[in-house]
Amino acid sequence: MAAISIRNLSVHVGDAVLINDITLDVPAGTWCTVIGPNGAGKTTLVESAAGIRSPSRGSIFVEDVDMSTMNERQRAKKIALVPQHPTVPAGMTVRDYVGLGRTAHHGILRAMTARDRALVEDVIARLDLSHFANRDVASLSGGERQRMVLARALAQSTMTIVLDEPISGLDLRHQIDFLELLRREVDDCGLTVLSTLHDLTLAGQFADRLVLLSDGSLVREGLSRDVIRSPELAASYAMTLRVVDIDGADVVVPVRNLSMDALQEQPQMFGETP
Amino acid sequence: MNEALPPSPRRVRIVAASSVVAVVICALGGLAIGPLSIPWTGILASVVSHVGMGHSHLTSLQNLVVWQLRAPRVVLALLAGAMLSVAGGTYQGVFRNPLADPYLLGVAAGAGLGATIAIVNLGNGFTTPTWTPALAFGGALLAVVLTWIIGGRGMRSNSSTLILAGVAIAALFTAFQTYLQQSNTSATITRVYLWLLGSLASASWHQVLIVLPYVVVCCAVCVASGRALDVLSVGDVESRSLGLPVSRVRLIVVLASSLGTAAVVSVVGLIGFVGIIIPHIVRLLVGTSYRRILPISLFFGAAFLVVADGVARTVVSPSELPIGVVTALVGAPVFVLVLNLRRSRVIWPQ
Repeated sequence: MAAISIRNLSVHVGDAVLINDITLDVPAGTWCTVIGPNGAGKTTLVESAAGIRSPSRGSIFVEDVDMSTMNERQRAKKIALVPQHPTVPAGMTVRDYVGLGRTAHHGILRAMTARDRALVEDVIARLDLSHFANRDVASLSGGERQRMVLARALAQSTMTIVLDEPISGLDLRHQIDFLELLRREVDDCGLTVLSTLHDLTLAGQFADRLVLLSDGSLVREGLSRDVIRSPELAASYAMTLRVVDIDGADVVVPVRNLSMDALQEQPQMFGETP
Repeated sequence: MNEALPPSPRRVRIVAASSVVAVVICALGGLAIGPLSIPWTGILASVVSHVGMGHSHLTSLQNLVVWQLRAPRVVLALLAGAMLSVAGGTYQGVFRNPLADPYLLGVAAGAGLGATIAIVNLGNGFTTPTWTPALAFGGALLAVVLTWIIGGRGMRSNSSTLILAGVAIAALFTAFQTYLQQSNTSATITRVYLWLLGSLASASWHQVLIVLPYVVVCCAVCVASGRALDVLSVGDVESRSLGLPVSRVRLIVVLASSLGTAAVVSVVGLIGFVGIIIPHIVRLLVGTSYRRILPISLFFGAAFLVVADGVARTVVSPSELPIGVVTALVGAPVFVLVLNLRRSRVIWPQ
């Protein structure tokens, strides 16, 4: 079953076409990452899937329910969002911030129930946030902050999470830690993840499936290894890319010193197995 | 206090209890202060006798002064202070703007124009006790409705558009008001100015009964929205993804704040600074959660306005200072102090 079904989605802003007639299924319990060059429409696609951007045409179904028929509260119980630049309200504790994820469950006029509080504590412990649960959110480092935002999304208790560039601004160690954490949630809890990532190597290594966008259109979609090794990848970026297999993992290496004329005529993808 | 640690629950409880105690002490002080000296104990006994316990020892004159002159004034000050403080805090939360005050969407300019129309037409079928508050109330609501419509009904647009629409409407209404005011005699201008600066001098139980339902309902709605305002602190887009119906919440709390403010200013005039300084000081004491800021601001705001009114009617006795002058004289230095404290501590989310 598809956790998210996108049907003929188009998003226009004025005359600009941000997304052009995309149809896509994200299977339940898998991690699907949207890749593509800047301006390809990655953020627009995942924001539409999260319900925070209205489509100009087409439909989005979450667990077979048409998103356009859901109000904010119903939607928040089906799908959670980790935005690219989350707002971190100084003065709020980490525990209260994670607790915001329960808003759709207890409503805006009622306090959190014992069950809500237990769920928040469970997520805080699972993401190793316990030792600074009472700290001010503004005092956290980038990596801690990103884990806290993920904790808020997990506290929504949805089966699907959408993340827009969740590791931007993190160092390599924290990038891997964050993606491993997310991978565990997919593998252990059956979570469905739809994310965007700029790093093609990490996208290929962590996601089950990749969706390659270019100029608002879907260029290729499939298993990560197939998309990473497809000729369309280099063509979308208009450059030469080399894919190196290191201990079974695909590593995408950009290659410089090729003239632009040559690139436009013949985008190339080279595979190499040491 | 460690900057990384928000205020402890114990500290919040102490501040909350202090706010309630402040209201009781200030209200009793408001009943006791005046040209006619009446002992505290007598006032306390009289208050207690009104709830069916004990007997009042006041003379009939003292009884008249306390219950017909001072008490309505104190109660009106409590209601106005509570409403303006809660409305200010609510506006700061819903617009995520520390400079927001209850007059942000043109309430003051609208009320000012309405009151001026009534005052300049006195004698032409208009009477002060009836028409001034009625037209001030109507003008305030008209200004907010126009701001809401021009600002994209707060739904299609973001909160900045609504604030800018409020600035434009306020400028327009103020221009009309100034024109009307300047076209009249100096006596009329004086009356308009006195109204604009606010006063509780003509407070009566009748006015209290007019304002009471608005303040109770509107304050209840605003205080109940504290949890929603906490969610809104992460911005409109994230709030929606968390399940908050942002447009509906904004409509309800703006409506409640504006309606309550309009009701209060139509009776007491334009009292400035309360709506800004009280929520800021409370935020400094109990942190940034609106679940704490709004109810505590309600009590401290009420107490503050009773104190301000006490100062207004005693420092130049037997005449009175406009209460708006007192709140600004106290408010401006306190506001500067709060801003200075902000430099060293986090009291407003950036």
